[in-house]
Amino acid sequence: MKKQNKYYHIMLGIFPVISIGCFIALWYFVAAYTDYRIPNLTQVWERFLVTLEKPIAKKSIFEHAGISLLRVVKALACSIILGIPLGLLMGWNKTFRGIVRPIFEAIRPIPPIAWIPLITMWFGIGELPKIIIIFLGTFVPIVVNSYTGVAMVPRLNTDAGKIFGADGRKLLTDIVLPTAFPSIFAGIRTAIGTGWVVMLAAEMISAKSGLGFLVIRGQDVSDYPLILLAMIFIGVIGAALSFIFNRIERWICPWMEK
Amino acid sequence: MEGCKRDKVEVNHLCKSFGDLEVLKDCSFRIKDGDFVCVVGPTGCGKTTFLNLLTCLTEPTSGEILLDGERADPRKHNIAFVFQEASAFPWLTVEQNLRFGLEIKKKPKEYIDEQVNRIMKLMGLEAYRDSFPGELSVSTEQKVVIGRAFAMSPDLLLMDEPYGQMDVKVRFYLEDEVIRLWKELGSTVVFITHNTEEAVYLAEKVLVLSQKPTGVKDTVEVNLPRPRDIYSEEFIAIRNRITDEIKWW
Repeated sequence: MKKQNKYYHIMLGIFPVISIGCFIALWYFVAAYTDYRIPNLTQVWERFLVTLEKPIAKKSIFEHAGISLLRVVKALACSIILGIPLGLLMGWNKTFRGIVRPIFEAIRPIPPIAWIPLITMWFGIGELPKIIIIFLGTFVPIVVNSYTGVAMVPRLNTDAGKIFGADGRKLLTDIVLPTAFPSIFAGIRTAIGTGWVVMLAAEMISAKSGLGFLVIRGQDVSDYPLILLAMIFIGVIGAALSFIFNRIERWICPWMEK
Repeated sequence: MEGCKRDKVEVNHLCKSFGDLEVLKDCSFRIKDGDFVCVVGPTGCGKTTFLNLLTCLTEPTSGEILLDGERADPRKHNIAFVFQEASAFPWLTVEQNLRFGLEIKKKPKEYIDEQVNRIMKLMGLEAYRDSFPGELSVSTEQKVVIGRAFAMSPDLLLMDEPYGQMDVKVRFYLEDEVIRLWKELGSTVVFITHNTEEAVYLAEKVLVLSQKPTGVKDTVEVNLPRPRDIYSEEFIAIRNRITDEIKWW
């Protein structure tokens, strides 16, 4: 039985390699035998080597990736700092919820991209407007999940806390907050994905740097290997962000993996 | 000896209604300090409402509950509760769960350490000290919850059918555990159950509740030696008497 388990665990480690291998094989096949004009892996690799020697808009591809990443991280940090307390307050305090929720619900369905013209008009085309647009995309899921996490706290937990004499702030910090953690983290995870998507949209419209800018530059000059290279960077960084976040989540909420 | 004990809990003319529905009607009884009292009644008679009133989670419509002569208040009195469902906090380890109530009550650290270690030892939880409830079986988790309640050295420990979801074997085992802890720590326990055998096995006194609107129909003293033999004639006689009293058909 143990031996079987060991093999199963080895197989679980191999599965991702197999799936990525299949994906690359499919890519190779489509690039070589179809008319979709998709650059193959070699062309993308060569394009990568060229970017190392000849920067685009005076920046290497790593700098472009770093700029994009920094924009997302800044927006995400602002969303976490402002969104979690706002969501917790909305879930915890009925009066506050009564005042803030209608406004929030009205703004929530507006896609962040729809704000671009107004944000550009108010803040120009520098760094700040891009971060604000990404912030609009990351803020909403964090608020919604923090609020839901508090609203869904099982009565059993709060009753158990109250019987021990916990009330007010103690009930919030010792019972409600830890119970809401999984939901809050799910919100941050969603926000990372949304932030990454909105970042690309923001950069594709008005930017002189970043991975979104590289995609648009590639489109303008029909440089398809560059587009694919930027897409690979986007995918790899997105997966890395998700991985790092999972580690942080496990560290902060060790009971969730048990 | 019985006469020397003072009244721990005094319930006077307790009534509770939800809108037009009268759940409790003029409940009055007394529980002595250190008593183990079981409360039985027909299904749906309002046993849980009764317990929620004792914990002050629900306000009574009229009447009063006195604990050591004062109105019961969880902030002032040391009340502990074991729910039907296992209610260990999933984000805390077994040790942290046991410490929780004592820390809320701001007990000195040395006392908390001593009390938690004592309960761990009594309940055989030392091996699970750093485990999270999610890693434990339901019965072990319920042991943590019971241990957490006893760790408070509560003025009053209320238990709401804590073994309702467990199989017979585990239930017998946990019943003995509770008796052991109760004897060791001398807490006053009110234990709600729909199982008359369990009530006679555990209690020194059984309160039999009537159908809705619920009142105290009878109080049965159980003066049997421990550990109790569930097949003895006396045991069966008391059990049958209580079963007859809660029959509604």
